[in-house]
Amino acid sequence: MGIQDKIQEKVNDEILHNNLKGFATSYKASKINAYKGLDFEALRTRVHDIKDRDLSKVMEQFNLFKANVEKVGCKVFQANTGEDACKYIADVMKKHNTKYMVKSKSMTSEEILLNHYLEKEGLHPIETDLGEWILQLANEHPSHMVMPAIHKTRQQVAKIFADYTGEEVDPEDITGMVLIARRFLREAYFKAGVGMTGANFAVAKTGSIGLVTNEGNARLSSTVPPVHIVLVGYEKLCDDFNQALDIVRVLPKSATGQIITSYTTWIKGRVPSHKNEDGVKETHYVFLDNGRLAFLEHPKFKEALKCIRCGSCANICPAYEMVGGHVYGDRYIGSIGLILTALYQGDAAAKDILKMCIGCRACSFNCPAGIDLQSLISELKLVVGKKYGINPIKEKVFKNVVAKPEKMKSLLSLGASFQFPLTKTNKSNGEKIISKVPLLPKEMDFRKFPALSSKTFTKLFHKDGYDKFTSKRKVFFYPGCAIEYFYPEMGLAMVKLLNKSGIQVDIPKSAACCGIPAIASGNPDNARTMIFNTLDRLNDVEQYESLLVLCPTCGGAIKHEFLDFTSNDPDRYKKAVLLGDMVTPFGKFLEDNKIHFKVKGNKTVTYHTPCHDERSLNYSAEAFLSSVLGKQFTHLTDTNVCCGFGGTYSLDFSTISNGILDKKIENIVASKAEILVTDCPGCVMQINGGLMHKKVPVKVLHLSEFIDKYVEQI
Amino acid sequence: MSELDFFLDKSKLVGNDNQILSSTEFLTFLEKEDFEYVNVPSFNQLKDVQAGEAGIKNALVELDYAIAETGTVVIDSLNENKRLATCLAEKLFVVMPKSKLVSRLNDVADFIEERTSDMGGYVAFITGASRTADIERVLTVGVHGPKEMTVIILNDL
Ligand code: SF4
Ligand code: SF4
Repeated sequence: MGIQDKIQEKVNDEILHNNLKGFATSYKASKINAYKGLDFEALRTRVHDIKDRDLSKVMEQFNLFKANVEKVGCKVFQANTGEDACKYIADVMKKHNTKYMVKSKSMTSEEILLNHYLEKEGLHPIETDLGEWILQLANEHPSHMVMPAIHKTRQQVAKIFADYTGEEVDPEDITGMVLIARRFLREAYFKAGVGMTGANFAVAKTGSIGLVTNEGNARLSSTVPPVHIVLVGYEKLCDDFNQALDIVRVLPKSATGQIITSYTTWIKGRVPSHKNEDGVKETHYVFLDNGRLAFLEHPKFKEALKCIRCGSCANICPAYEMVGGHVYGDRYIGSIGLILTALYQGDAAAKDILKMCIGCRACSFNCPAGIDLQSLISELKLVVGKKYGINPIKEKVFKNVVAKPEKMKSLLSLGASFQFPLTKTNKSNGEKIISKVPLLPKEMDFRKFPALSSKTFTKLFHKDGYDKFTSKRKVFFYPGCAIEYFYPEMGLAMVKLLNKSGIQVDIPKSAACCGIPAIASGNPDNARTMIFNTLDRLNDVEQYESLLVLCPTCGGAIKHEFLDFTSNDPDRYKKAVLLGDMVTPFGKFLEDNKIHFKVKGNKTVTYHTPCHDERSLNYSAEAFLSSVLGKQFTHLTDTNVCCGFGGTYSLDFSTISNGILDKKIENIVASKAEILVTDCPGCVMQINGGLMHKKVPVKVLHLSEFIDKYVEQI
Repeated sequence: MSELDFFLDKSKLVGNDNQILSSTEFLTFLEKEDFEYVNVPSFNQLKDVQAGEAGIKNALVELDYAIAETGTVVIDSLNENKRLATCLAEKLFVVMPKSKLVSRLNDVADFIEERTSDMGGYVAFITGASRTADIERVLTVGVHGPKEMTVIILNDL
């Protein structure tokens, strides 16, 4: 099945949809509660620091761990590949003449497909984590790293249990089902000759492991059988218990919103075990490489090895929420799943799923290990885009149009003149839109498209005479494509407003794209050309107070991506650094310069925080609007969650984009606001298009237009 | 909020029954209740049993530390029968001399290190009953281990 078919199947799965939606909402609330009174940034920086180490440090930790456990008679095996690990574990079972092994949850064992291997050898691993057991019986794999069976309903579980046990199972009685699991798994612990666990920590100082669970199954798996096998990736090593406890502090809070899990267990080697002849447990540690050690030396991808497997990068990912973990990831799931699939299984396995990331950056700000996941995904997108190519039409458009600013300008002005048979005025708000896009596939028809502006922003700017400079105060404005070609009124509103305060606005000699569309599509070569075009067209900044943007995505690109793409070009790099430092979203400029306003009229207003405002430029206009509007302002639930636009993403993955937009619209309707303000033209295009399509009479305005129309300066 | 209040708050959050008793009240309580497994060294109370597949009705153990930050009890469970009893009892009772309360997780780092320095070690943090939310995210207790947990806080020790 191709990726689009898989997405379609999941999007149509109502059970999955409801489960994930309910979870996304309740998770956020419990996480906030769990972290109450704590400094999340400080805590995650600490975890990041603990995990920040190179290969030689990890091997030093490993050698100490190994010496500590071998000293007391435990066995340590270094598995280079998944297959090596599987074979070793099968051999231990065979040596002990046992067919049964009880297992507590281990993503590492999913990574190496251990169960599959053992079953082929005629051995029987039994998953004891309830969710994993359900999936094992159903012959499926997890769709979430912490809640593996989140895609199942109670009725489905009842059916699975009834088939397995031959008993009647009440499909409504969850407690009853849990008791069935208790009964069957209790028997399993006592018949198994080997117990296997993963490890959340391998503490070098004493050679102990730490296990974080809720059910108590890891306690039983490591206690009842006479043999204990620990399967662990090298990245779980840490120096001492203080480090481990600093991670325990965040792991459950981020994973499920619990302050701590029911059980955290610290085990060292050879504990008493009456089932063994010598009365002591036989313990094996299988340390897995499977490709991870190489990446400890990689300047960027080593970040992925800091993951503490809380699973929360799935919990907050808007794209994951639409399709679930059977599509969004592979053996590992969520944002980190996209990355680890590429690193461990190879880029061929990851090339399609990487594209599903919309780039909202929510995961980067949520990760308790401080991993900038979105940047890693973006990096990998560029790698696979270059290696496997991207959509050939897109590539042509990028190469021949977007990367050639003059060509783009003449083509779009041609478009603007000839689009009129296709345009009409949208009744509810009087805006000019495309009445029907020719040949548009049905799934892409979820929002109205704005018409091209008949004149570009640059043209209007000069026509209106804003280019005569008399004032001492000057700022520079980078309009970006959306304002240049679709929404010049947003730019003009800002220019007018600043002029009133005696601040004049200068603009580039001619327009060029910031490169983000090419970066997001994994097309580095054209992205580089676009970035160079833009940089070369931007004036030297010394004479200006700020570099203003009305599109935070462009602003974020100048601040962050421009640096990556100019790193081999010192002159351009220097310019990019200077410009990046000056990038300021319009709202922030007003606040910094203490330009005060009061509201006109009595409309209720809400605000959508664009992803890149909050997470690339570190700004949100919410506080500003709420102080200007007072009681007329109402908070939008999930204001900072993506609207589903993502540029061409909304066409490439229209079903996901539409699903994300639906949620946004639900929240907008629930806010009962009459006007939605946001400060990104892309968000305006998406949200306004969706509202018009659904005929919801909420007006959408960019911050600059809103200020122009609904407030006055005081 | 005092450290004890903090502990009680977190412990209640996970559904524990918390009782504050004096040593004398605790001894009266001991007489009334019938435990299958007891390990309370502070009162010289020991009753050994090796819990098996059928589990046991209840167990009473004294903790080594309690952590206010998370409402956690810390129990050195190297002794196999103690481990089995705390894993397999339907109801778990934990005796907590008030003086054993520490404020943060990291306050027990040295204790874990000491108890895992030799041949074997098994230090358990327990915060509530055995729980799962794996079916439709509905919180259900007693999936493998204890279905109920009681913390008896001795306010004069
Ligand atoms: S990458 Fe971060 S958020 Fe995702 S599972 Fe790992 S630690 Fe959690
Ligand atoms: S950037 Fe957004 S869409 Fe992409 S993986 Fe992270 S949360 Fe998901």
